[in-house]
Amino acid sequence: MSVPASQMWTVASYVLRQRLTRKKQYPLVLMLEPLFKCNLACAGCGKIQYPAQVLKKNMLLEKALAAMDECGAPMISIAGGEPLLYPQIGELVEGLVERRKYIYLCTNALVLKEKLEQHIFKPSKYFSFSVHMDGIREDHDESVCRDGTYDIATEAIREAIKRGFRVTTNTTLFNTAQPLNVREFFDEMMDLGVEAMMLSPGYSYAKAPDQQHFLHKGETNKLFSEILLNPKKNWKFNQSPLFLQFLMGKQDYECTPWGMPLYNNFGWQRPCYLLQEGYAETYKELLETTPWEQYGKKSGNPKCADCMVHSGYEATAVNATFASFKGFKDTVAATIRGKP
Amino acid sequence: MADEKGLQGWAPVISGDMTIERVIDLAFDYRGNTTIVKSDGTEVVGYIFNRNKGVAEPFIQIFDEKGNGPFTLLISQIQAIRFTGKDMAAGNSYAAYMERKQRQKETGIAEPLNALEEEA
Ligand code: SF4
Repeated sequence: MSVPASQMWTVASYVLRQRLTRKKQYPLVLMLEPLFKCNLACAGCGKIQYPAQVLKKNMLLEKALAAMDECGAPMISIAGGEPLLYPQIGELVEGLVERRKYIYLCTNALVLKEKLEQHIFKPSKYFSFSVHMDGIREDHDESVCRDGTYDIATEAIREAIKRGFRVTTNTTLFNTAQPLNVREFFDEMMDLGVEAMMLSPGYSYAKAPDQQHFLHKGETNKLFSEILLNPKKNWKFNQSPLFLQFLMGKQDYECTPWGMPLYNNFGWQRPCYLLQEGYAETYKELLETTPWEQYGKKSGNPKCADCMVHSGYEATAVNATFASFKGFKDTVAATIRGKP
Repeated sequence: MADEKGLQGWAPVISGDMTIERVIDLAFDYRGNTTIVKSDGTEVVGYIFNRNKGVAEPFIQIFDEKGNGPFTLLISQIQAIRFTGKDMAAGNSYAAYMERKQRQKETGIAEPLNALEEEA
């Protein structure tokens, strides 16, 4: 389970500070979508089906930075759309590094090599590319609905690592995933030299073209148990070990939808990254006016029944690490063992 | 009434169960432009991205056809909504995706990925 020590320290001290001040609702990662435009149209993605005038909109840089300042999370994930198509992506990353935020730029890497050659970014311990890779070549190309993308992305990863950048991967798994293929994929990513990998079960976006392949809870537990059974020593995950245990069915959590709030051109999305039930103008308004009791497993909301996505539960797992001696002990034990 | 998969082109008549609130919910969930008819008879075309019914004066928010906005309209000042724009999430079933993929393989011609490419 590899996350750089300075980042772990920043997150740990931030969470402890929130707990000491008895803050119940606080953000861990800001999910920022500065645009919806993308250069792919993946079957499992429900983020880009908008009319042209909405796809053309780019968030004002000042608004993006103001959202970061307002919510105050120690980490940010820049997604979209394809963030490398955002005209001010270099300035945005620079502004976030100045604020000492840990940044994950989620990209399909189709234009990454080109952007690296333009010297838009500088390597920093605060900044990591999080390349969307959904499996071995055949599985990835199938998942993103375009042949050749695996090869383009792996070439860009090599180039970014060569230039001194931190590179991680993010992988979404559907019920078509083959555990052996996924394990082979982990080996490939580690061989490429990526720092760590992030996993999530597929989001059941209501507007995604492919509605057949989202995982139900039991399927998620089975799939992740098979994938993570006897993990290899060199596999590094960019996630809380407790979250991985949750995916395997070894922990039972309730979601923390405000822990990874989403800000885009429409505002702060209610209630979470996945469901789109309206928008608030400020993070404060989001916290104060969203009927949180209507969401999460306990609420009985059918939209939440099968959800195990990292944007809902990773914050819960991180919080659990510091909420009790058991949580802390489980995390330390999994980290030392090297397996969730 | 058109079912939720086929709202495109629908011009609901507000009466009985089909209240303006119900039409607004459907329009909020619709991934295309709509034409909003205000109480004074004027019309505005745009994408409804937000609706808030839990406040003293319930409202919707839109970006107009040119992308200007956001504009806020009070629900009390809306008399009708027509689903005039293309539903960008329709016709996107997995089966449709597989057919499209097959077509592209056979013809070697890439089809538009999204509304922007369609426009181009
Ligand atoms: S359970 Fe999932 S879908 Fe429901 S509020 Fe939490 S994160 Fe969102």
